Amino acid sequence: MKVLRLVSVSYWLHLKMLATSAFEGVFQVIWPLFFATTAFLVFRQSHDPHALVYAGLGSAVMGIWSVIATTASGLLQRERWHGTLELLVASPTPFALVLVPMTAAMASLGVYSLVATLLWGWLLFGITVPVAHPVVFVLAIVVSIFAIALIGFLLSVTVVRYRTAWALGNLLEYPGWLVCGFLVPITLFPHWVGWIAYALPPTWGMAAIRSAASGGSPWGQIVMCLVLGLAYGAAGALVSESVLRSARRNATLALT
Amino acid sequence: MLSDPVVEALDLHRSYRTRTGILKRERRDVDAVRGVSFAIERGELFGLLGPNGAGKTTTIKMLITLLLPSAGTARVLGHDVVDAPRDVRRHIGYVFGGDRGLYERLSALDNLRYFSELYGVPPREQRQRIGELLEMVGLTGREKERVEGFSRGMRQRLHIARGLLHDPAVLFLDEPSIGIDPVGARELRATIAQLREQGKTILLTTHYMFEADELCDRIAVIADGTIVAEGTPSQLKGRVADGHVAEVETFGLPDGHLDVVRSLAGVRSAAVEERGQAQVLIVQVEPGAEVTSGVLSSIGGTRVGKVSAREPTLEDAYVELVSAS
Amino acid sequence: MNSLRVFFVGGLISFRGLFNWLSPWIYIPSMLVAPIFQILLFAYIGRSAGVQDDAFFVIGNAVQYSAIPCLFALTNTVAGERWTQTLGIVLVTPARRVPLFLGRSLPVVVNGFLVSMFCLVVSSLLLGVHIPGSAWPPMVVVVAVAAASCTGLGLVTAAIGLRVRETAVLSNVLFGVLLIFSGANVPLDTLPSWMATVGEALPLSHAIAAARELAAGASWSDVSGLVGTEVLIGVVYAAIGLGGLRYFEAESRRKATLEIQ
Repeated sequence: MKVLRLVSVSYWLHLKMLATSAFEGVFQVIWPLFFATTAFLVFRQSHDPHALVYAGLGSAVMGIWSVIATTASGLLQRERWHGTLELLVASPTPFALVLVPMTAAMASLGVYSLVATLLWGWLLFGITVPVAHPVVFVLAIVVSIFAIALIGFLLSVTVVRYRTAWALGNLLEYPGWLVCGFLVPITLFPHWVGWIAYALPPTWGMAAIRSAASGGSPWGQIVMCLVLGLAYGAAGALVSESVLRSARRNATLALT
Repeated sequence: MLSDPVVEALDLHRSYRTRTGILKRERRDVDAVRGVSFAIERGELFGLLGPNGAGKTTTIKMLITLLLPSAGTARVLGHDVVDAPRDVRRHIGYVFGGDRGLYERLSALDNLRYFSELYGVPPREQRQRIGELLEMVGLTGREKERVEGFSRGMRQRLHIARGLLHDPAVLFLDEPSIGIDPVGARELRATIAQLREQGKTILLTTHYMFEADELCDRIAVIADGTIVAEGTPSQLKGRVADGHVAEVETFGLPDGHLDVVRSLAGVRSAAVEERGQAQVLIVQVEPGAEVTSGVLSSIGGTRVGKVSAREPTLEDAYVELVSAS
Repeated sequence: MNSLRVFFVGGLISFRGLFNWLSPWIYIPSMLVAPIFQILLFAYIGRSAGVQDDAFFVIGNAVQYSAIPCLFALTNTVAGERWTQTLGIVLVTPARRVPLFLGRSLPVVVNGFLVSMFCLVVSSLLLGVHIPGSAWPPMVVVVAVAAASCTGLGLVTAAIGLRVRETAVLSNVLFGVLLIFSGANVPLDTLPSWMATVGEALPLSHAIAAARELAAGASWSDVSGLVGTEVLIGVVYAAIGLGGLRYFEAESRRKATLEIQ
């Protein structure tokens, strides 16, 4: 109960912080829109309405991955820069419970981009995405956000030792867009890429969102997305403990 | 059990490994703290005084579990800082100086709410506790404003409120008055004194002698990673009180002249302080000795301004201790 | 002579001092790996949509990605100097402005060219795109022209950087505009006519078209018109940029806008 409250209050406050930043707010919407627009223009040439719906839905979810890829890697660096990292570590709350609400808030910013992209596709390209099971559709989105947030948590603690983590984070944006089935069906890739794709929760989340929209049964995919996400979260918790131990040993917390 | 010290450091050591160069990685170990021991009793306000780089902050960081000691042990309220960091964290508050360490885009209230959660302050008590603390640090009425618009002094007060959210028994204040204007610093001292009245055990580090003199029950002077003296402010002053201090204002004192002054008979120690254009020679004089004429003749052709003598202060004791080490 | 030194030495030093991308931890992910993934992404989107071929996307995106180094580098040096407060110091020197800023552009052009060539070669190999050997020498020239004309646009954003703070956003937005309008991924003739017109006025679009024709077997004389237009566009942007730098510098002296963070 206490944990739930801690997580929800921190989530809310961090969301408040992110949402009031013009840069993060506006830019996180605009950036994926450029790629969505390009993708729409490419798919439009095929004159296949199904292809446009496929692209419309896929590019809408891309933004959730983008936010995490581009901002989670720099999370600890930013806390360090603000001088709050030491305060967070010095609190009795386990570090994982401090960080997960933060990355969850970041991933939630992706909802901005999701809504904006759907509207953009509808207004400019006349793409209407039929949603057969609205409730399950929303659930699939929420689970995807949560799972991507847990990847973000793992990412944030893994790259903490790199001063230039933001560059590594930006690097993850394209590969995620490429292999997770947002715009390209996984069957087009060589076999080994498929294995990587199926190890990533957004692949399952995207599949679940598509099933919920088209009227299929997304439950298996939702569960897979959640289970994989939790696995990344558990890995993140292990890494974060070892990172903290090493930071206490090597005095790397306060470095700016 | 009751007589056990609240904070106990036993022969703490801490070395850093620094790397220089990119291609040729040269590793060098720097000993920041080498053998620091002290004990702080319940309700005591203990000052840790020392120049920059003496090891004050490193010592504090070991005590608040942010750094592991390279050797030695430390306990806070009986909990070992290495083996039981979470127990230590629950009972201590940590406040550092400067204007970082706050979420700029959140209001003061939200900053406090966030850390209340991290410290597990029960929801029912939160509202009242935050209200009391805002009142105490004089931010009532401003709590809804975002921190980015706060002045340095306001940020520092908010910091203190943050450190007190969970009503910690022990408080670590690392140079809290740094960069605050004189009025703000005075208010801050009043707040610290008030906390001591409430029975908190406090470890304070500071550069300002009068601050330590006014507030601390006991002071340890740390220089070069070791404690060079420990005692009450008056005990420390007593170490130099039997002499007096001569100050000679000079303009263009040659380098290395300090050693000449130090070698004069009757001089216990000497230091130079830059004051604007002038270099002021501060000479600690043995009881009964007269050194002014000796000092003046030793500096020969250098232009001399005001010459004065005065009673030693805590600062003189400190300068003597630090420059002797 | 002195202007020559300001051009070469000054430009190179400021590039190294402020363009911190030269760290391998930043350069490799942002300049070498990310563009390859951008190319793969669009090549596979093309395959998925069943339009164009891999060569189309390889050439388009390899040339378009030079926008990242070319737009960001100059803008970052100006914005970075504002931040470190050295810009005022640079501007009080008597150095002539045209060689000063053009000198800063030269390493940027070279870097943009190298990034594009790297992407072109590596992604051709990865996707099995075959470009005939005889097409490579003229393509190298076209890629260099593209980097130079895009740097002209970079001078414009650098000038704006004398006035506004959020230049990183501006550079990113321009990158996105080029992604859509330059024909890197969508043939200009399939775009609505107003978009095609915008694309024609942007740097890179003519160079991308020329490079594609060369790869398809066209000769230099077939594409010389496109290359000439690309050069012209680059010169126009560079002139606007240099004029803007002069104007905003003068204005900053009047209105003290330089030191505003």
